[in-house]
Formats: sequence, structure tokens, C-alpha cells
Amino acid sequence: MTAAAIWVLLTIIGELFFLQLDIFGDTAATEQGHFIDEAFILLMVMAIPIFTFVITMILYVVLKFRAKGGELEDAAPTRTHKKWVGFWLAWTTILCLVVIVHPGYTGLIELRQTNAEEPDLTVNVTGRRWQWIYEYEGRDVSLYSKDDMLVLPNDSLIRFNITAEDQDVVHSFWIPAFRMKIDAVPGLTTYMDVNTTHTGHFNDDVNFRVQCAELCGMDHSLMFTRIEVVEPAEFEQWIADEAA
Amino acid sequence: MTAFMPLVRGVIYAAIGFAIGAAISQGITSMTGESATEPMVVLGYVFAVIGWLMGIGMWKSWGRGWFGKSTNSDPTGNWGRYLRFNIDHKVIGIQYIVIFAVVFLLAGLLAMGMRYELADAGQNVFTKNTYNTTMSLHGIMMVAVAVAIMMGGFANYVLPLIIGAEDVAFPRINALSFWVVPPVVVLLLLSPLFGGFDTGWTAYPPLATQTPLGGLLFELAFLTFGISSILGGMNLIATIITQRAPGMTWGRLPIFAWSVLAASVIALTATQWIAYGLLMIIFERIFNMVFFSPPGGNALLYEHVFWFYSHPAVYIMILPAFGAELEIISHFARKPIFAYRWVVWAFALIVFLSFIVWAHHLFTSGMGESLHGPFMILTELISIPTGIVFLSALGTLWRSKLRLKIPLLFALGMVFNFSIGGLTGIFLADVATDIALQDTYFVVAHFHYTIMGGEIFGAFAAGYYWYPKITGRMYNENMARVHFGLMFIMYNITFLAMFVPGTVGMNRRIAEYPPEFEFMNLVTTIAAFGLGISFLPWVYNMINSWIRGPKAPDNPWDAKTLEWQTASPPILENFEDFPTVTGDPYGYGDDSVEHATYGRRFDEGDGHGHGHNVAPAEGD
Amino acid sequence: MTEHVPQHVNHRFSSLDINRLGLWLFLVSDASFFIALLSSRFFVVGTSTPEHVDQVLGLGLTILLLVSSLSAYKAEAAFEHGDIAGAKRMLLATIGMGIVFVAGVGFEWHEAFKHFPPSTGFGTVLFTLTGVHVTHVVTGVLTLGFVFFRIRNTTEIGDNQFAVEGAVKWWHFVDVAWVFIYPTLYLLK
Ligand code: HEA
Ligand code: HEA
Ligand code: CUA
Ligand SMILES: [Cu+2]
Repeated sequence: MTAAAIWVLLTIIGELFFLQLDIFGDTAATEQGHFIDEAFILLMVMAIPIFTFVITMILYVVLKFRAKGGELEDAAPTRTHKKWVGFWLAWTTILCLVVIVHPGYTGLIELRQTNAEEPDLTVNVTGRRWQWIYEYEGRDVSLYSKDDMLVLPNDSLIRFNITAEDQDVVHSFWIPAFRMKIDAVPGLTTYMDVNTTHTGHFNDDVNFRVQCAELCGMDHSLMFTRIEVVEPAEFEQWIADEAA
Repeated sequence: MTAFMPLVRGVIYAAIGFAIGAAISQGITSMTGESATEPMVVLGYVFAVIGWLMGIGMWKSWGRGWFGKSTNSDPTGNWGRYLRFNIDHKVIGIQYIVIFAVVFLLAGLLAMGMRYELADAGQNVFTKNTYNTTMSLHGIMMVAVAVAIMMGGFANYVLPLIIGAEDVAFPRINALSFWVVPPVVVLLLLSPLFGGFDTGWTAYPPLATQTPLGGLLFELAFLTFGISSILGGMNLIATIITQRAPGMTWGRLPIFAWSVLAASVIALTATQWIAYGLLMIIFERIFNMVFFSPPGGNALLYEHVFWFYSHPAVYIMILPAFGAELEIISHFARKPIFAYRWVVWAFALIVFLSFIVWAHHLFTSGMGESLHGPFMILTELISIPTGIVFLSALGTLWRSKLRLKIPLLFALGMVFNFSIGGLTGIFLADVATDIALQDTYFVVAHFHYTIMGGEIFGAFAAGYYWYPKITGRMYNENMARVHFGLMFIMYNITFLAMFVPGTVGMNRRIAEYPPEFEFMNLVTTIAAFGLGISFLPWVYNMINSWIRGPKAPDNPWDAKTLEWQTASPPILENFEDFPTVTGDPYGYGDDSVEHATYGRRFDEGDGHGHGHNVAPAEGD
Repeated sequence: MTEHVPQHVNHRFSSLDINRLGLWLFLVSDASFFIALLSSRFFVVGTSTPEHVDQVLGLGLTILLLVSSLSAYKAEAAFEHGDIAGAKRMLLATIGMGIVFVAGVGFEWHEAFKHFPPSTGFGTVLFTLTGVHVTHVVTGVLTLGFVFFRIRNTTEIGDNQFAVEGAVKWWHFVDVAWVFIYPTLYLLK
């Protein structure tokens, strides 16, 4: 009974503490990113009771069932307990299924539902040690990762088609603020769809950057591009300037 | 001085072997045109290993027998017996434990270097390349420790004892699987001198095919280590099947033996895949083949092959640690293992599932999207059998008469840590969250929680638990408590702090990072130094107590399993009086259960219906 | 200094059983290697087979190896019936076929270099599959030769039973591996 009370108490404290931390706030800049943040928080909410259960058990057992004076004495030999095993199996299985269905399976659907839609903007990305090369499809604009700022429109469906040069190595195209990544593999074209929901600038939030997320040798950590997400009108303006 | 002769001979023969191999390779390559260093190194290395093995004593105690000559494999003697090809499983266990304790400290020292570099955002002591090599070396050395310390070290030492055998099924193959390990360590330590390898321990090609010579040394090392694992796994399986004491039915097998059996099945089969993956990289390097490099090759092939080994491999690490954990908890709680049969089934299920979840490392790799769903589901299912292990641990503790000795503290620490490690695994198994978290410090924190918090804590528990048996002496309790306290606290600060930057956008395998993440990294670094310091009392305690600790009784923990029913340390063939098992090993609080009775060694009466075979085992 | 090998007094398995088990375990492990090997074929070149692949040679090698497995079996059977001379004959026949097989692969390599060198996708697969297999054949030939050497002067089974049995089993394994490699390499469209 006491153990159960401690567990409930710890769980409440843990959950409240975690929720008030609001670890992501509103920093995700895409619909997909919001979904992923929510999935993370949901998983954490489900993990906390399991974790507090383990801690409670350990603490309680250590305090309550210590051999008096460290004496050698055997406990009653409970070998197994069908009801408990069944109960445990049942709830872990249920929990597991819950996690699989949501956020697991719904996530798969959510992150792919844009496949069929026509994107507002397509950017072709090529990885090469240690830079990214961008080409705005149909816009006649190309960028280099080192010096340029990758400018993207807000409120748009953006598709990145990603590959790496032949003879090069595997890279990974990751935009932390969008929460999305996919590898850039030589000889293979991968893609990533995002619906932007926020404007933002690298200078205000470092997560507005393209970061290589697959070890690719010496300058792996420097293989990044700063990003700015602007309102669509501003974006058109910028594209026009660049193309000129 | 003579004690060092086998080592000296091994080194000389290895040098001769290298010269022969290199000369052959030079001969061939000069015939076909360009002379190349890499084929020379590969062939030279193969011959060097053969030379090394022959020199260290394999020829004398094994090879001669193939040609009908007399062999001499005397496993007795003073400390010199640890420095040669020795077929006593207890010697081999100690050899493994000692060599991997040293590797652990060296790799930990590399981690200290990395943490020093990562204390602030900029680039300080390391260049980018040396950082990458340091990181990769830390990774692979620690993985080797994690794979070998339980299976090679404790399983070798304890398993034959705990099942009442005299030795493993194939003592000479056992010695062979140990003696290919020193070349692995030497190659890894040499590799920084030859340009290192900046690929991480995962060594994805095409990058891995383009590293300097140091990368080739790494590949050869990992390959050799694989051979050791395969032979070790084979030996342990055969031992458990054939060497159990009479009466030791499957239902009476100690849980540690079950866990070793489960892990051995993985080691036996999955390890071949990494051998194949590395061989393909080596072929690509020396024959210009195109497995992975487009045009012609497929870059994702290696990732599949690699994880088809390396995912099951994490269960090679954790399963024996689970076994040791439950074993220790039962003995110190003075209660039978709760739900023993369920745990055995859970182990079996974990082994089965471990083979079909590898692609959860590839959710962001560009592999077919139709694979995401199945692999996510299968991965998450592993939490159910793993949960059974937790149920068993907690169920055994419940209503027990707990004695809070050091091994138990480490085992409890392991339960605590692994719950964090396992639960964060679920975040990674979920495709949605993994797309954000892959390749961030969240993953780094996850696997330090599972490997270090889980397995290494388990290995320390096992180390303290079996220390009196192995050394015949008692460690210093107070110093061990200091070690545990400091290690547990510092460990948790170090790696809990790593989750934070990982969740908010810091990727792994980088020497410099955006200054926003500086604070948490500083916390990690400071705690990591504390963690490093916590091993000093351990090192001192282990060495000092071995030399001048108080003599340990045969059974200091009053445990019922067989390894405690013989001398500490045990005699050459383990048991003076031969055990016949009559009940399960965890009969605490139940006087009707007696684990074993003891009879004369060569009991001619044969009253138990087991024939014996007095002729020496042939062949191996 | 005494010869020390643990006596295994305590179990119900003879050392022959233990050795058999060990060999089986090793074969399981090695089979796992071949599965990896075969799977890479599909990853690297899909299911296409170039027309320059020498079908006649492939079929010939397959038949040769199957026949050699039969003679290996006969060797074992003869040995078990105490017919040492017959066993030796059959061993020699097997070894001979093994050597011809190795030569055949050598010829195939010679041809393959012209059409698909190792730096092409199919060349990579062909050379690795046959190369790994042929090293198994070579170890098989060596062990069979070694067994021949051991029983050359004996008149009874003695302690050579496992040596013969193991070598022959290994040879069958090599053969079975080829039975999978052959269609994978030659017959796919
Ligand atoms: C000993 C080592 C070990 C162990 C045991 C595990 C266990 C698990 N691991 Fe981990 N993992 C690693 C070592 C390990 N891992 C390493 C080294 C890497 C990175 C390699 C690299 O990239 O360098 C890695 C990476 C890794 C990834 C890839 C991350 C990425 O790169 O994107 C994933 C994704 O699915 C994952 C998942 C899991 C899961 C689901 C488990 C599960 O087995 C955990 C199961 C346990 C529990 C869930 C807790 C106990 C259960 C209960 C209390 C019951 C109730 C709970 C539920 C119903 C949820 N791991
Ligand atoms: C068994 C597994 C294991 C263990 C125990 C550890 C232990 C530690 N690890 Fe390790 N780590 C890995 C396995 C492990 N690691 C793997 C597989 C990787 C991935 C590599 C890759 O990405 O490819 C990794 C990567 C990794 C990184 C990420 C690097 C990067 O991505 O850039 C970091 C960063 O902080 C880190 C830190 C640490 C620290 C601080 C410890 C500490 O626990 C270490 C504790 C300190 C000691 C043990 C030293 C004690 C020394 C003394 C007391 C001195 C006396 C001794 C002598 C004189 C010999 N590790
Ligand atoms: Cu490109 Cu890392
Ligand atoms: Cu995994």
C-alpha cells in the first residue's frame, strides 16, 4: 500500500515537473516537427510511470526488506505467482500496443501524407564532402552551403530531393528546427517533405540550420548551412533578386 | 624470466610470419603490376597471427598432436601460466577479464580526452581528425569490452563451475579464442599511428573504404575479434549442452547459464555477418571491388549487414549481464528467482526478436519506407520480454531478506540504469521520434545507459560477486562502497545531462558544436571526470586485495550454486568431490530443496546411471 | 610436465559426440556467413545475370562437386566398415575431384577477368562468391589429404573416426553451399 502511494506520488511529481518544463515550447517550425514533438512528449508521459515504478520498487525494497542487522536469513520461497506474471504481461503488452499505434503508426501516416500532394517548392540537394549544394527547381537559383543562407518560404509544402555525389560518402540532411532528417546516399535519391509553419532565422535559433548528421570525415561538423524561413512574398522577392 | 618466453616467442614468430606474408604478397603484386601496401599488410597480418599463435604455445600444446607427435599443455604453474597458451578455463577467464579491464581503462581515458575537448564549443586540443579517430577508437574498444567481458571473461570462468563441469567442451579452442584477442588490441592501438580511422565504430562505407591504412587495421582487428566471438559462442553452447553435472536438468540450470546460452546463439550466428561486411570492405580496398560504392555498388548494403550483426550484438552484451543480475539478486535477497521459467522464455524471445529488428538503425537511411512499420513494431515488441526480466528482478526482491552487499548494489544500479536505457530505446524505435533523434546525443545517452549503465554495471556486479572465488581473497568493502557511490552518481549525471542537448538539436560525432549547447556539455564533462576518478579506488582495491587482501572463505555469500561449493580459487579440474544435482539452485527458505550432493571424484559405482569416459577427449 | 586434457568424466556424452556437436555448431555459423554472402548478390546486381557467364562450366563444376560428395560419402562408409583400403581410394578420388574443381574455378576466373573484372558489379559478386567458396574447397581438400595421411598406415578405425567423419561432413557442407551458390550466381534471369 505504502509502495503504491509512493509510486503515485512520484509519478504525479514527475509528470508535473516534466510538463511544466515544456521542453520544446513552440520551436518546431513545421507541421511534421510539431507532430514529432508531441510524440516525444507523449512517450515521455507514458515512460514516467514505468520509471517511477522501478525507482519506487528499488527504494521500497531496500528500505523495507533489508535483513535485520545484515543477518543471514532466508525469505519465504515465492517462486512465481501466475496472477502477477499475467498482470504484468497484460499491461506491458497493452502499453506496447498503444505505443505502436500512437504515436508509432499514426506517425508513419502523418509524416508521409504529403507524398501525393504537389509541393509549393522543390529543392534539389546534393551532398559533397563537406558542403551542401542546393538548386531551387524551376527557379534557376543555386546555392552553396558555406557562404549562402538557405531561404525558404513559410506556410508552404517544401520537398527536398536529396542525394550525394557518386564517389562521395553518405551524408545526412537534417534540419533540427524542422525535426526531420534523411540520409544523402551516393547513387540514391531520397526525399523529405515539410510544411513550414513558422518564420525564423539562424541568428535567433541555431536549429535553423541544415546539419550533416552522418559522419563523413574531417569537416563533418562544419557541413552545415544557415536557414532563414520568411513569408512567401518576401521569399518570392528574394528569389527574384537571386535569379537576377 | 622463463615466464615471458612464450610471449617473446610469439612476437618473434609473428614478425617472421609478417615478413613471409608480406613477401608473398609483394611477389604476387609485383607480378601483376603495381605493388601495393594494403594487400601486403593483410597477408602479412594473417601470417603474423598464425605465427603469434604458434609461438605462444598453440603448436606445442595442440598443433603437434595433429601430426601424431606428443603434446604438452600443462596448465599449472605460477603466474607465468597466464602468459601462455593455457587450456584451463579459469586461466582463460582471468586472461580475458584482465586484458579487457585494461582496454576499458584505456578507452575510458580516450573518453576523458573527448570530454575535455567537448567541455566548450570550440576546437581545442584535438584536430578534427584526431577527435574522430579518438571517438571511433573509444567506441570500438568499448564495444569489444562489452562483448567480451561477460562472454569471454565471466562466462568462461564461471560457467563450467556453475554447471558442475571440469572445463569447457573444447578447452583448446577456448585458448585459441582468447589468444587471437591480443592482436586485436595491438592493431587498434597501432591504428592511430597509421592515420587512424575517422569513421566511427560503425565504419560505414564508402567512407570506410577511403580511410588511410589505420582504417584497414581497424577492419582487420574487428574481423579477428569476430572470429574470437564465434569460437567462444560455439564452445559455450557445446559446454552447456554436454558438460552439465549429472542431474542438472534444463529446469535446474542456473539463470546465468541460460543467459550465456542465449547470448552464445547470437554470437555463433550473427557474428558471421560482421565478418562478411568487413571482408567486403577489405576486398573493396585491395581488389577494387564495388560492393558499396556507386556506380555498381549499393551503399545501403553494408548498413544492413552491419546492423544485422550489431543489433543482435547488443544482446550478446546485455543478456549475460541480465543473467548475472538475476543470479546476484536471488542470492542476496535469499529468495528463489521469481518467475524463473518465464525469464528463460523471455531470453529465447529476445534472441529471436533480436535478429529481426536491425533496420531500426536505418529509419533515416533512405531504405524503403514500407520497411519502417514492421521494424518499428518488432523493435517495440522487445520491451515485453525485457519487461519480464524486470518483473523477475523486482519480484525476487519483493518480501526478501536483503543483504546490501556490493554486488547487490551494482545489480540494483543496473536495474535502475537499464530502465532509463530501455525506455529511451522506445523513443528511438518509434519512427516519428527517431527521425528527429537519430544521430544526436540522445542516441549516445541511450546506448551509454544500456551498455554502460546496464552491462558494465552488471559486469562490475559480477566482478565483485565472483572476486573471492576467482582470487581467493576478499576485496575491501569500504573502498568498494566508495567506488559504487561515486560511480553511480557521477555516471547518472554524466549521461542524463547528455539527453538534453540531444533532444534539442546537438548531433553526435563532432568536436565542435554551437555554443548554445555549451552549458550541458560542461556539466557532462565535469561529471565524466568524476566518473573517471571513481575507477581509481576500484583499480587500487582490485590489485591490492588480490595481493594482500584477507583470505576468502569458499562460500562467502552462502550461495547455493555449484561454483561456491568448491575451493576459492577452485582446484585444477574444479571439484574435489563431484557434484550430482538433485534440485534447483535457488532453494532459499525451502529445506526440501537441495541443489547437489557430492560424491567421490571417479565414482566407480556409477549409481546415477551416467557412464563415464576415462579416455582423454580426442581432437577438440 | 604431464599431458593435461580434461577427462570429461562427468557427462553423458562421449568425446565423439562432443566433437560432432562442435562441428555442427560451426557449420551453422558458417552457413550464416553464406547467407550473408548470397544476400549481397541481390543487393549489388539484383537478379540479372550477364550473358558471358560460362553456363557449361558452371554446370560441369556443379556435377563434379556432387559426384565428389558421393565419393566422400563412400569413403566414410567404407571406413566405418573397416575397409581402410577402400576408404583411401575414395578419399583420393574426392581429393582429385576437389583439385579439378579448384582448377575449374581458376579457369573461370581467367575468363571472368575479360568480361567482368572485380571492379564491376557482377564481377564483385562472382569473385567473392566463388572465391569464398573455393577457399572452403581448398580447406576441404587439405583436411581430406590430412585424413588420408593419418589413416594411410592403419588397419582399423581406432581414434580416427571423427577425423574421417568430420572431414567428410565438411566436404558435404561445402557441396551444399555450392548447391545454393550455383543457381544464385548462374541461373537467375
Ligand atoms: C546493451 C546494449 C543495448 C540494449 C540492450 C539496447 C536496447 C534497446 N535499444 Fe538500443 N542501441 C544500442 C545499445 C543497446 N540498445 C547502441 C550501442 C546503439 C547505437 C549504435 C550507434 O549508432 O553507434 C543503439 C541504438 C538504438 C536505436 C537506433 C537509434 C538511431 O541511431 O537512430 C534504436 C531504435 O530503435 C534502439 C532501440 C532499442 C530498444 C527498443 C531496446 C530495447 O531492447 C529496450 C527494452 C527495454 C525496456 C523497454 C525497458 C524495460 C521494460 C519494461 C519496464 C516493460 C514496460 C515497458 C514498455 C512496454 C515500453 N537502440
Ligand atoms: C562499453 C561501452 C562504453 C562505455 C563504458 C563508455 C564510456 C564512456 N563514454 Fe562512450 N561510447 C561508446 C561506448 C562506451 N562508452 C560507443 C560505442 C560510442 C560510439 C562511438 C561512435 O560514435 O562511433 C561512444 C561514444 C561516446 C561519446 C560520443 C562521441 C561523439 O559522438 O562525438 C562520448 C561523449 O561524451 C562518450 C563518453 C563516454 C564517457 C565519458 C565514458 C565514461 O564512462 C568513461 C569512464 C572513464 C574511465 C573508464 C577512465 C578511467 C581511467 C582511469 C581511472 C585512469 C587509470 C587508467 C590507466 C592509466 C590505464 N562516449
Ligand atoms: Cu557530411 Cu557529415
Ligand atoms: Cu539496435
